[in-house]
Amino acid sequence: MKHEWIRFPFHILFHPYDGFWDLKYENKGRMSVAMAILLLMVVATSLMKQFAGFLVNFNDPRYLNTLDDLAFTVLPFFLFCVANWSVTTLMEGEGKFREIVISTAYALLPMILINLPLTYISRFMTNEETAFYWMLNSFGAIWFLYLLFVGNMTIHQYSVTKAVFTLVLTVIAMGIIVFLGALALTICMDMYWFVYDIYRELIFR
Amino acid sequence: MKKALLLAAIISLLALTAAPAVQAATPYEAYTYNYYSDAVALPAPFLPERTVDGAGLGVGDFKLPNDFYVTKDGTVYILDSGNNRIVVADEHWNVIRIIDGFDNNGTPDTFGNPNGIFVSETGKIYVADTDKRRVVVLTGQGELVKIVENPQSEVLPANFEFAPLKVTADRAERIFVVARGVYEGIMQFNDTGEFLGYVGTIKVQPSVADRLWRWLATDAQKSQMVLFIPTEFSSVDIDDKGFVYATNIDVGSTETIKRINPLGKDVIKRFGHYPNVGDIRYRSYGRDSGPSKLTDIKYIGDGMYIVLDSNRARVFAYNDEGELLYAFGGRGTQLGVFNTPVSVEWQKGKLLVLDRGKNNIVIFRPTKFGKLVHEATALHYNGNTADSVELWKEVLRLNSNYDIAYLGIGKSLLMAKQNKEAMEYFKLGMSRKYYSIAFKRYRREVMQEHFGTFMTTAVVLIAAFAAFRIARRVRLGRSAGHEA
Repeated sequence: MKHEWIRFPFHILFHPYDGFWDLKYENKGRMSVAMAILLLMVVATSLMKQFAGFLVNFNDPRYLNTLDDLAFTVLPFFLFCVANWSVTTLMEGEGKFREIVISTAYALLPMILINLPLTYISRFMTNEETAFYWMLNSFGAIWFLYLLFVGNMTIHQYSVTKAVFTLVLTVIAMGIIVFLGALALTICMDMYWFVYDIYRELIFR
Repeated sequence: MKKALLLAAIISLLALTAAPAVQAATPYEAYTYNYYSDAVALPAPFLPERTVDGAGLGVGDFKLPNDFYVTKDGTVYILDSGNNRIVVADEHWNVIRIIDGFDNNGTPDTFGNPNGIFVSETGKIYVADTDKRRVVVLTGQGELVKIVENPQSEVLPANFEFAPLKVTADRAERIFVVARGVYEGIMQFNDTGEFLGYVGTIKVQPSVADRLWRWLATDAQKSQMVLFIPTEFSSVDIDDKGFVYATNIDVGSTETIKRINPLGKDVIKRFGHYPNVGDIRYRSYGRDSGPSKLTDIKYIGDGMYIVLDSNRARVFAYNDEGELLYAFGGRGTQLGVFNTPVSVEWQKGKLLVLDRGKNNIVIFRPTKFGKLVHEATALHYNGNTADSVELWKEVLRLNSNYDIAYLGIGKSLLMAKQNKEAMEYFKLGMSRKYYSIAFKRYRREVMQEHFGTFMTTAVVLIAAFAAFRIARRVRLGRSAGHEA
């Protein structure tokens, strides 16, 4: 643990206020580390779905797909970052897009650190012990949300209420982005089929 | 030349007919539901053998028969409602007698559009004589034993009209009657025909939308609304222990099949991955949509029961745990599919379905697969898990997607303390409950086996660590001493 870039994410885990402050003002966060954490998150999710013990694994093995895991981790991640950036820019947030991405990625670390060993341990659990699995799993998720909240607050230099408010707005903004995206896609598809139909009409005349 | 060609043609034709039918095609596809509630195809458990109708029996066509009953010795009692008669035939479909009336204390009497029939172990015939508002009990020869009519009780309204639809009776000659317009439950009568009360009351649960609607409505509107009344029962049967099996048509309920104990409580097991209600996957709109409407139930022994779905004209068989063994059937005009199936019966291993629309009875004979499933289930139910293993293995050879077979083998392995193998089978059978039990035992076994090794390693490691610490301290002390 000599390297700062390894030690720093672990520092954030236990000292989030201090850590995120350093991330913003001491420029300690690294984009490459953030991306590595995001990738690890994908790996951890995939491993968990595939290898978690039978008693806690309710995934249908016929539909497990690592590419889906990749898409459904990376896309929401950037969706959140873009939505958060859009909202906070309007709400006098001081965070840059780069800082949002790094802080969000660093906040994911507890989920990876808990889920990876938990996947292994879950293979040795009986039905009565699976309560611990779900407890630790939720604990990881709550820790992630806590770090996300503190990170957001520190990056943008918000008060607690404003941070909560912007996070709620971020979720709404995510919904709006998805809606607009779907709308644009539908219109594009309609235009494509319109042109295609005209083309067919012409060649079959 | 011509002769040679003709000969060749004849020989080839003969060869064609002589070739054994490897698999007779059925007009329906049999299936069961797996853990993920997907329908998985099964080899047909039953094949249609032939139909029996009134003309075939030599008694003239049936006219809208509503019910029939088959006793343990195979005797068939067909309730030919439109002709107001009962046709009794033996196991081989030779007509024994026709009961088209009875001597009611000196005056000849007939039935009035009867809907249900039941024959007790002692041979007494119970007829739900709907339009004449009574239950008629006859001897096997057709002589009147008693008539149950006009029930009297303070729980019944003053203008109560007794219209019995289905009937069954237990060994103590208590009579259970499903009556039209009675929502309180199954009517129970004692052996003298006195009304005792209701059993198996259906719980009413209005949906959220219903409640919201009711909450928004004004009092005047509320009085116009229909009451939340439970649906009626649709059929009854009784098992050897005197437990009443009943079905009711209740859209949205997961308790449409009931097993009612002598105290009147529903004690059926619903231990499957999904409720035992017939189809669990169906279209919401259009043709063949909506949940199953179970119109008849037959207890066939060893915990198994068969229900009939009149909505999609299908037959469902369940074991005592409430797991679906198989389902098949459909609507159509071919042999083996139905028009309006109204009743299902069991005649010594053969499945009989009465079709009111076609005025006939379809006889299904079990295939190898069907026989194996029934035998294995029966062995399992009676506790001979070890004997059932061979049968389950044979079932799996015919169909490797049969979850219940994996469970059966797993349970037997668990009994034989082969925990690791049991785990494997429970995993294939998708039973987390039993997997956990097997795994717990296996884990304890492994830990007990390796406890010695584990402890030795731990002690050695601790000793080594302590020795290392002491050695380092001594060395540090020495070097410090040198410096000083």
